Amino acid sequence: EYIQQNEDRDGIRFTWNVWPSSRVDATKLVVPLACLYQPFKERNDLPPIMYEPVLCTRTTCRAILNPMCQVDYRAKLWVCNFCFQRNPFPPQYAAISEQHQPAELIPGFSTIEYTITRAPCMPPVFLFVVDTCMDDEELTALKDSLSMSLSLLPSNALVGLITFGKMVQVHELCNEGCSKSYVFRGTKDLNAKQIQDMLGIGRGGATIQQQQQQPQQRMPQQAPQPPANRFLQPLQKCDMALTDMLGEMQRDPWPVSQGKRPLRATGAALSIAVGLLECTYPNTAARILLFVGGPCSTGPGQVVDDELKHPIRSHHDIHKDNAKYMKKSIKHYEALALRTATNGHCIDIYSCALDQTGLMEMKQCCNSTGGHMVMGDSFNSSLFKQTFQRVFATDPKNDLKMGFNATLEVKCSRELKIEGGIGPCVSLNVKNASVSENEVGMGNTTQWKLCTISPNSTMALFFEVANQHSAPIPQGGRGCIQFITQYQHSSGQRRIRVTTVARNWADATVNLNFISAGFDQEAAAVIMARMVVYRAESDDGPDVLRWIDRQLIRLCQKFGEYNKDDPNSFRLAENFSLFPQFIYHLRRSQFLQVFNNSPDETTFYRHMLMREDLTQSLIMIQPILYSYSFNGPPEPVLLDTSSIQPDKILLMDTFFQILIFHGETIAQWRAMKYHEMKEYENFKQLLQAPVDDAQEILSTRFPMPRYIDTEQGGSQARFLLSKVNPSQTHNTMYGYGGQDGGAPVLTDDVSLQVFMEHLKKLAVSSTA
Amino acid sequence: LMQNRHILPQTKVTPPPIKLNHQFHEATNCSSDIFRCTLTKIPESNSLLQKSRLPLGILIHPYRDLSNLPVISCSTIVRCRVCRTYINPFVFFVDSKKWKCNLCYRINELPEEFQYDPVSKTYGDPTRRPEIRSSTIEFIAPSEYMLRPPQPAVYLFVLDVSSLAQQSGYLDVVCQTIQEQLDNLPGDARTQVGFIAFNSAVHFYNIAENFNQPHEITVLEVDDVFLPCPDNLLVNLKECRELINDLLQQLPKRFANEHDNQSALGAALQAAFKLMSPTGGRVSVFQTCLPNYGPGALQSREDPNNRSSKDVQHLGPATDFYKRLALDCSGQQIAVDLFLLNSQYSDLSTLSGISKFSGGAIHHFPLFNINKPQQVTEFQRALTRYLTRKIGFESVMRVRCTRGLSIHTFHGNFFVRSTDLLSLPNVNPDAGFAMQITYEESLADVKTVCFQAALLYTSSKAERRIRVHTLCLPVTESLTEVMHSADQQCIIGLLAKMAVDRSLSSNISDARDVFINATVDVFSAFKIAQNLPSGASGLIAPQNLALFPLYILALLKQMAFRTGTSTRLDDRVFAMCQMKSLPLDQLIRYIYPDFYLLDPLFTEEGDKVDPPRLQLSAERLDSRSIFLLDNGVNIYIYVGSNTNPSVIKNVFGKNSVNEIPDVCYSLPNLETPSSESLQEFINTLNEEKPYNATIQIIRDTSPCRNLFVQHFVDDRNENSLSYYEFLQHLRTQVK
Ligand SMILES: [Zn+2]
Ligand SMILES: [Zn+2]
Repeated sequence: EYIQQNEDRDGIRFTWNVWPSSRVDATKLVVPLACLYQPFKERNDLPPIMYEPVLCTRTTCRAILNPMCQVDYRAKLWVCNFCFQRNPFPPQYAAISEQHQPAELIPGFSTIEYTITRAPCMPPVFLFVVDTCMDDEELTALKDSLSMSLSLLPSNALVGLITFGKMVQVHELCNEGCSKSYVFRGTKDLNAKQIQDMLGIGRGGATIQQQQQQPQQRMPQQAPQPPANRFLQPLQKCDMALTDMLGEMQRDPWPVSQGKRPLRATGAALSIAVGLLECTYPNTAARILLFVGGPCSTGPGQVVDDELKHPIRSHHDIHKDNAKYMKKSIKHYEALALRTATNGHCIDIYSCALDQTGLMEMKQCCNSTGGHMVMGDSFNSSLFKQTFQRVFATDPKNDLKMGFNATLEVKCSRELKIEGGIGPCVSLNVKNASVSENEVGMGNTTQWKLCTISPNSTMALFFEVANQHSAPIPQGGRGCIQFITQYQHSSGQRRIRVTTVARNWADATVNLNFISAGFDQEAAAVIMARMVVYRAESDDGPDVLRWIDRQLIRLCQKFGEYNKDDPNSFRLAENFSLFPQFIYHLRRSQFLQVFNNSPDETTFYRHMLMREDLTQSLIMIQPILYSYSFNGPPEPVLLDTSSIQPDKILLMDTFFQILIFHGETIAQWRAMKYHEMKEYENFKQLLQAPVDDAQEILSTRFPMPRYIDTEQGGSQARFLLSKVNPSQTHNTMYGYGGQDGGAPVLTDDVSLQVFMEHLKKLAVSSTA
Repeated sequence: LMQNRHILPQTKVTPPPIKLNHQFHEATNCSSDIFRCTLTKIPESNSLLQKSRLPLGILIHPYRDLSNLPVISCSTIVRCRVCRTYINPFVFFVDSKKWKCNLCYRINELPEEFQYDPVSKTYGDPTRRPEIRSSTIEFIAPSEYMLRPPQPAVYLFVLDVSSLAQQSGYLDVVCQTIQEQLDNLPGDARTQVGFIAFNSAVHFYNIAENFNQPHEITVLEVDDVFLPCPDNLLVNLKECRELINDLLQQLPKRFANEHDNQSALGAALQAAFKLMSPTGGRVSVFQTCLPNYGPGALQSREDPNNRSSKDVQHLGPATDFYKRLALDCSGQQIAVDLFLLNSQYSDLSTLSGISKFSGGAIHHFPLFNINKPQQVTEFQRALTRYLTRKIGFESVMRVRCTRGLSIHTFHGNFFVRSTDLLSLPNVNPDAGFAMQITYEESLADVKTVCFQAALLYTSSKAERRIRVHTLCLPVTESLTEVMHSADQQCIIGLLAKMAVDRSLSSNISDARDVFINATVDVFSAFKIAQNLPSGASGLIAPQNLALFPLYILALLKQMAFRTGTSTRLDDRVFAMCQMKSLPLDQLIRYIYPDFYLLDPLFTEEGDKVDPPRLQLSAERLDSRSIFLLDNGVNIYIYVGSNTNPSVIKNVFGKNSVNEIPDVCYSLPNLETPSSESLQEFINTLNEEKPYNATIQIIRDTSPCRNLFVQHFVDDRNENSLSYYEFLQHLRTQVK
């Protein structure tokens, strides 16, 4: 309850909610001290604070006044809970008293949001980058979605359009009577300076020169709002023109001969889009929305050539170092991702094709900038259409549920140091005394940039207990962490969200039970998943699995109750009991088992895991299975083959898929159309119940999952069978040997029971 | 000559008639408007030619607009098996089955079909065939004359939209005129058009049929220009008519606010080449400034302080970029026509390469501005003519001559593909050509010499056609006859072209010397031919060469060759281009404008006589008279201040001369005999021209007076001799 309450209020989940008071103890906990934090969690109950936060005056601290600070109302002083500096309140706080507190001191507002009114209000920029190498049906569907999206954007938003095929066209939006575009070769990579020079932006045509001739008289009055240029226009001004242009947008006209792929200059187009925003609206809210219907086959970022007989790389090719274009392509997109992130812009990739499109190479564009990655088969699918529509979801105030150009800064008590972060961000490389030498994820910094954030955006942050055992923590002392997120709201306002949390210290040598009682196994599972996937991204191989196995065994050794070398005596406390199961499913999941998926699919799955909140991430790690029968209301059942019963319907949610599975008997009845008969109304209801529940998930999740309706023996039943624990079908005659040297390896396709048995054996072993 | 100051005949100067011997007495020779030789009797040997000191060459106007052109369609076109000469009126029929080639003397079989007379529809005498009856004839060619199926007529307009172009306002005129003439562009249902605009970038126009509006696609990478899309940049005129109109209406204003003073002409031309390569066709380039950006960028080379210097620099190209591109174009059957409407130096010497070597035409409207109505009218007329005149595509012209002679140097705009084959991606009715002739062997044993020009082209209606002109000339062994048969206008035409070459290869002073030396030589030669003593005074010339010094003096004072008078380099270069490519009748008027006294048109009693032609001298002026000067493009009407007020009333509808404004471009159409006579006269003058001249009325007291007086080449001015002084100078030189 305490955990849930904290999550609701502060959007935060710690692996450990009671912190070990010394470095040595902390390292023995196996699961690191870390948290999942949602900087943009939807909080419609927050009061509007229209002033700026009060900062600690110590220049090395600059923490923000919060409810955990001690306040001397008489002296009008407050004590910083991070550095213990005594700070006077600013003059406008003269009227405060214990009865009359500013919101930021009220305990319930450990998370609070300030709106900076003196900062200029900038509308967000949406730059559409559209592949036209697709058949007419696909293109028409995509055009419809794009037109639809215009109606969902704020009317002051700036919009732009780039289309590409063999070449790249940048469209002007302010023309009447004759549409205009600039065309670039798809084989050429242009830097920002070249784009700026060529398009005559920034450098300025006559208008800027004229302005320069006039002395700066009117300058101070005007906000430094860059002028809308020909390529990025307020939607309200170019709505018609843009709609016309979308209407006349045609399939890439260059002929494609038999046996060839169309030449698709995705890399060049994206490079131009990045460059265009870079030289027009740096450090302003901006999204690049890239739509691709196939792989980049020409120019920079090419992932495959145009010969159809040369298929796009597979995991096997990559493993065999046989992916000709991969490294160079990744380098191109990584450079673009870095530039985009530096500018505070983000890139969304909407990839809809039956084959891969090179998401694997392009992934950093989304991962570093926080942009969406959406993968589907067709732009004409409801998966894409619904998902795309949800990008533009709005809050009750009718503002888009997206934040832009955010920086997340973390401050912590001096007993803690920051090891790093894993999430949809880049490091801002801001170092101070709080930075740990031990790096996890993106470390060596106390600030990260999240170019775009959505309510679900979740950062994993890792801490080190820096306190030496010899330096005891004062009795009743608490460790504090403050998260300061500055971002541009979609309304254009600059906002600062501050979350300040505190947790108790405990001496692990004396009170390990306090600490273990504060273990959050769900948070731990997600944190471990992020860590292992982060490792896997740089090092795909058995070492990653070996590492996670080792962690699990060590955790069980540390927190299990058992007699040495007696596996049957092994017990785990309730708040640890599910953790091995999470790890079991994580090991079997598509996040770590890549060979049944394409590199693009792996990339997509991992992308989602690295950004979603705890609840969604857990579903991804261990899918949820519900069972529907005549015997009562639907109930959650074990993700196990034993749950598959002839007279039951199963609903499985893997986050990426929603699957309805009809047991054998049910399937037969359905085939015989009993549900259409009046007398079997209850059967009809039974059939309908999981469908309704699935609809509810389908209608809210982003991205929209793939919906599968199958039955016992159906070809798509494999999706269920690949997830459930093979407890009954699998050969349980499992032999385990080789304890000699090296870390133990558990083979993959074993049942949970076998897995647990071996885990117990290893945990209690005195030699492991 | 010295005693006959009024040497110019009052009527048209005609070439000496060609008199063939009895055998061809009745055969019609080629019209002198089409085909002319500098000598109407060919010297029997090179040494005789040398003695005459006259140049030997032919001038041809092969695609001249003709009202009576026999066109025949036959399955076999009869040609000599050896030299491929087309059968013509000057062949010998050995018998009814055989003919002897008049160029190589080979005996050829006559096909059965040739016995058939298509006019009378009977078999019999082959001499009744049109091929034998007319020395100008056109064949509709069978498929073996095609390298590929006839392509549609394709017209691409390449428009300068730089800031100087905006300032000149020319785009309004061009776009409006094109729009007005879209229906009159030669072609059929397949005709295509396209547009490219350029400044520092190249702008293409995608005008696909299913669009609501034209799409402008701009390529900024001018150093590596490319086509932005594979189709719809050239579109079917009929199908896309509405969008084309739409575009033409928008174009003049589209770039009005861009202030782009860069001009990437080279890139635009490269783009045009790429766009037109598959079909060939006509590229019309409108340029208003020096191309200063991207490939083929040029730098100003003219020193304005040096415009009157004797030493004229930079007549040759600064780079071979335009020539090389022109040759590429020629290879793909693309001709590039250049309209230069510059207000500043634009290096026509370099730019002209694009047209010269691709068989294009060059037009020049210096200092063009839309606010000058006279210029607008002139430009509109020229452009209308240009857009609507006939056009031949994928053309080649071969000129053959009788064995013993050979053709060596060619003049005009084309590319010489092989020794006697000119590649003309386009041929137009306003283009003239010339060739120089040398001897390979003596002609002592032949009576006549023939020249045959065959122009193979694809008509705008996709017919492959061959137009054949044959000129036959007698051979003589007499120097006197040679001298008396000289065609002075033709010689002047040829000398002018040779002098342009000399100016480029050497310098203008040399070219001027050539003119003078040629004149001196001819008079010296005539003296020898007449057996006059070398010391004899006076300057004696046969009737047919009497105008020679007058024309030479005019040439020396012509824009192309003059020195001492401030002349913009581009104007000079354009004049040189004109020398090289104008058909002879226009060229002569360009060198020595026609000047008339109009008074006879206004006499009220007696028969009206044609206005007499006058020499170009101020001494002809009379303040009581009205004069007309016609240089081809412009007609100036010069009104003396003491002209009879009733004439002023009848002709100009004014009460007095002074009511005529300083700048006056319109001649009222009054229902008076005088006005009607003048209109009629002007119409006859215009009849011979590609398009009507623009008219300007100038009072003799008007500040514009110099526009008129500057043409008085007979008169002395500070840097040049008067006609009489020139004759005196010649006399001292003639031995
Ligand atoms: Zn502080
Ligand atoms: Zn012959």
